[in-house]
Amino acid sequence: MPMKLAKFTFASLAILFLVAPLIAILPLAFTSSVILTYPIPSWSLRWFEELFTADAWRRAIINSLIVGSGTTLLATVLGTAASLGLRNRLLLFRGSVRTLFLLPMVVPAVVLGVGMQVLLARFGLTNSYAGVIIAHTVVAVPFVVVSVTGALAGIDERVELAAQSLGASPATVFCRVTLPLAMPGVLSGAVLAFATSLDEVVLTLFVAGPNQRTLARQMFSSIRENISPAIAAAAFLFIAATILVGLAVMVFRSMLAKRR
Amino acid sequence: MSARSSRTGRSLLLVAPLLLFLIGFFVWPLFSMMSQAISDPAVLRLLPKTAEVIGDWDRKSPPSIAMQTALTDDLKAVGDDQALGDMVRRLNSARSGFRTLMSKTTSALQDTANPPADLVSIDKRWEKPEFWQAIADALSPLTDRNLLAAVDLGRNASGQIAHLPADQSVNRVILARTFWIAALVTFTCTCIGFPYAIIAASLSGWKRDLMLGAVLLPLWTSLLVRTAAWFILLQEQGLINDLLRGLGLIDAPLALIFNRTGVIIAMTHVLLPFMVLPIYSVLITIPENLMPAAASLGAPPWRAFLRVLLPLSLRGVASGGLLVFISAIGYYITPALIGGPGDQMISSIIAFYATGSANWGMAGALGMVLLVATLVLYSVYARFSVDEPGRR
Amino acid sequence: MAEFIRFDRITKFYGPLCVVENLDLGIGKGEFVSLLGPSGSGKTTLLMMLAGFEQPTSGAILLDGTAINGVPTHKRDMGVVFQSYALFPHMSVGENIAFPLQMRGISKAEIAERVKRALDMVQLSAFADRRPSQLSGGQQQRVALARALVFEPRVVLMDEPLGALDKQLREQMQLDIRDLHRRLGLTIVFVTHDQSEALTMSDRVAVFNKGKIEQIGTPRQVYDEPATRFVAEFIGETNLVEGVVETVQGQEATVRLASGAHIVSALSGAVASGQPVYLSIRPERVDLSETRGDARNVLEMEVTDSVYQGDHLRVQLETAAHPLIAKLGRRSREFPPGTKVFAAFSAGDCRVIAP
Repeated sequence: MPMKLAKFTFASLAILFLVAPLIAILPLAFTSSVILTYPIPSWSLRWFEELFTADAWRRAIINSLIVGSGTTLLATVLGTAASLGLRNRLLLFRGSVRTLFLLPMVVPAVVLGVGMQVLLARFGLTNSYAGVIIAHTVVAVPFVVVSVTGALAGIDERVELAAQSLGASPATVFCRVTLPLAMPGVLSGAVLAFATSLDEVVLTLFVAGPNQRTLARQMFSSIRENISPAIAAAAFLFIAATILVGLAVMVFRSMLAKRR
Repeated sequence: MSARSSRTGRSLLLVAPLLLFLIGFFVWPLFSMMSQAISDPAVLRLLPKTAEVIGDWDRKSPPSIAMQTALTDDLKAVGDDQALGDMVRRLNSARSGFRTLMSKTTSALQDTANPPADLVSIDKRWEKPEFWQAIADALSPLTDRNLLAAVDLGRNASGQIAHLPADQSVNRVILARTFWIAALVTFTCTCIGFPYAIIAASLSGWKRDLMLGAVLLPLWTSLLVRTAAWFILLQEQGLINDLLRGLGLIDAPLALIFNRTGVIIAMTHVLLPFMVLPIYSVLITIPENLMPAAASLGAPPWRAFLRVLLPLSLRGVASGGLLVFISAIGYYITPALIGGPGDQMISSIIAFYATGSANWGMAGALGMVLLVATLVLYSVYARFSVDEPGRR
Repeated sequence: MAEFIRFDRITKFYGPLCVVENLDLGIGKGEFVSLLGPSGSGKTTLLMMLAGFEQPTSGAILLDGTAINGVPTHKRDMGVVFQSYALFPHMSVGENIAFPLQMRGISKAEIAERVKRALDMVQLSAFADRRPSQLSGGQQQRVALARALVFEPRVVLMDEPLGALDKQLREQMQLDIRDLHRRLGLTIVFVTHDQSEALTMSDRVAVFNKGKIEQIGTPRQVYDEPATRFVAEFIGETNLVEGVVETVQGQEATVRLASGAHIVSALSGAVASGQPVYLSIRPERVDLSETRGDARNVLEMEVTDSVYQGDHLRVQLETAAHPLIAKLGRRSREFPPGTKVFAAFSAGDCRVIAP
């Protein structure tokens, strides 16, 4: 019994440690005060207003959406195509290529950022949306590859053979069988790519100019320079979006599970 | 056979775009960063004519007239005083006496009223091959200077590798600090994550879902949001200090932010999921009846833990620990926002060299150190997660 | 036989669910008792309580006269063989068997000696350095057995240990375990849902149903003299025929069937005249012939189907009131469908069971 109590206490404290910070920030989004502390004097939506009207924040949100969409499109197309190609077991260096595709997740962002800045400067792509999208795509693509590869690995190859035996051409098999079965993986890969882009700060610091300030980048400098409850309002949006994204991924996963 | 080769061709076509994209925008940037670290074309840029003729020199005989004229022309053409100063500093560190020699030479060359016949006439030292050797070495576009400086080493006057003076030796301190902070974070993550995973794996139903959800929620939340949240909790008027004061445990607020404590707390929070999830996924593969079996064979709970559960879950602990450590050594945002000046890790220093002082050589060299450390640890990690020790 | 284990009014609830209800059971020293029943009947829960993995909600478990309710598993000194063996995957076969000895602080030399003997006993001497995953299911089973026996536990508990093996191997292991039991004088409590396994191996069989023991007795008793309808149906195949008791004479009763026929049958428990009952008649005890003969119970029936099953001939019979199945030896003559026959059996081959 004392063992059980100790376990319960430990688990509760650990859950508190994990979740409490995320909950603590939410009410501050609705404070009327200009400082980011408790207690909250009165409730107000002024910081959300600030977020959508103040030039710096509004542009940051728009930039995040532009960069996020570009990244999602590029990473999903490249990552899905590559995952499909990697299904072929006869491919030379298949393992090494796959490792290369996953490596951007591992390499420290600052290291990649330094290299990226040097290289993009050479191409004249610094301070451009293209540069930021390219940089974000590099770090987002592993998530697409992991997600799509997982979905493809779950496809029973006999289903495709069956389609062939029923008279479908390879292109038809792909469009009518393989792609629909892999779709949940592609979609959750796309969602993860968007989320990665949305949250990316370090690469953005190195490659983006003042005109490509993303929301995450704006939050970073705001925390660093003049912290205000606008941060909490932005965090509120982020957490709300996270929950939506989490639900979306869960829906895709259950679609995937139902297919099996 | 042809069907097979056309299939391979198709696969290649599918893989190629991403492969080329990553070679162009991932591999190449890393290489250009590293080449920044080892290349130093500053002297070469200043002395292009000298570089052309010095290649024919045998490095032993006295300098030819052509070499002297080329160097004279180059020095006259130098317009950038700062670049010249950099060059002189570099030459002087290779061969002491260069500073005085150069200032004497440049002022003589500027004397248009009374132009010197050749360099030797300005100073006898220009006859000595040693000084020309130093120039020839400095003209090489490759250098180990940055890499050595990254670990606080440098070449002394005689070209030997030696420690830099203490006032220039900051990198080793920062490297040591980076690994120390990463080790501390790994330790705290293990202390919390291992029992957490064990408890989660021993539960079922909604209790297990709750514990896993509590781990996944932070993982899915924006890093900046989490960092901002800790900012709110840890600051002087933050919730933790308020709570402790409210409970009467402290009188004055504790310093929790802009110091090591804050960094460790926030980083542990950020990286804890990477510890819990690998351990958990190993634990749930352990058959449920092993611990009862150990008990029935006479093992008290702690011995059953040491002999059965611990060895079987060690693989998860090791891969979780490596994952946390790898992520921690490359961390930038959390120390930058929550830490004080004494808690900056190697990533911050790299960012400082790159954006603050535009010293790309040093940024590249430190980046290379971090990259190599990360990749070595990652290869160990990849080994761990592939091997199944129980199988052999 | 001296009583060694006693379950004294044991009750176990999982939440609102009662899995063992007010159960009493005594097991003698050196006895092989099987707990037989369908899944969910409480037999495994009882074993888990004996091993100390579960605590009874109420009641006491006594080992050699001492209550062991509060004693933790590792101090109970009981060897458990688990359903899926529960071998430690990170230890070799030898290390697995040495584990309980190490826990008891036995010297290295003696451990080596006893592990070797245990391996010899289960004929796995050549496999001491293998990992469990490198062994076949039958070999793993034998390692689990050796591990549970090597420390000479006071009681050996087995939880459906043969369930994962194929039929042939299972039957071989049944004989091996029975042999070990006799040779070493072990007290064994064996949980199974396989009635033939229980009958083959046990000194006594306890038949479980819904958290209670329906009947406990020797294999012969539970098969030939089922006390309840559940036991009669769960163990072997039987014909259950409804009827009403007319008269009771000592250990026999006369029962009137729906067809009006009278059957004289042995009793399993007390019944009264006029009570509706079941008659259990084992199919292999029914004789068929075309003449009436002089058996005590004779029913006139018609063959509806006859199936040759290799070792026996299975004949389905029908009258207006009730069907009957007879299993005849392979030397019997054929009974084609439509044949009018007389089905005969003695009073002792038939049991009256209160519903």
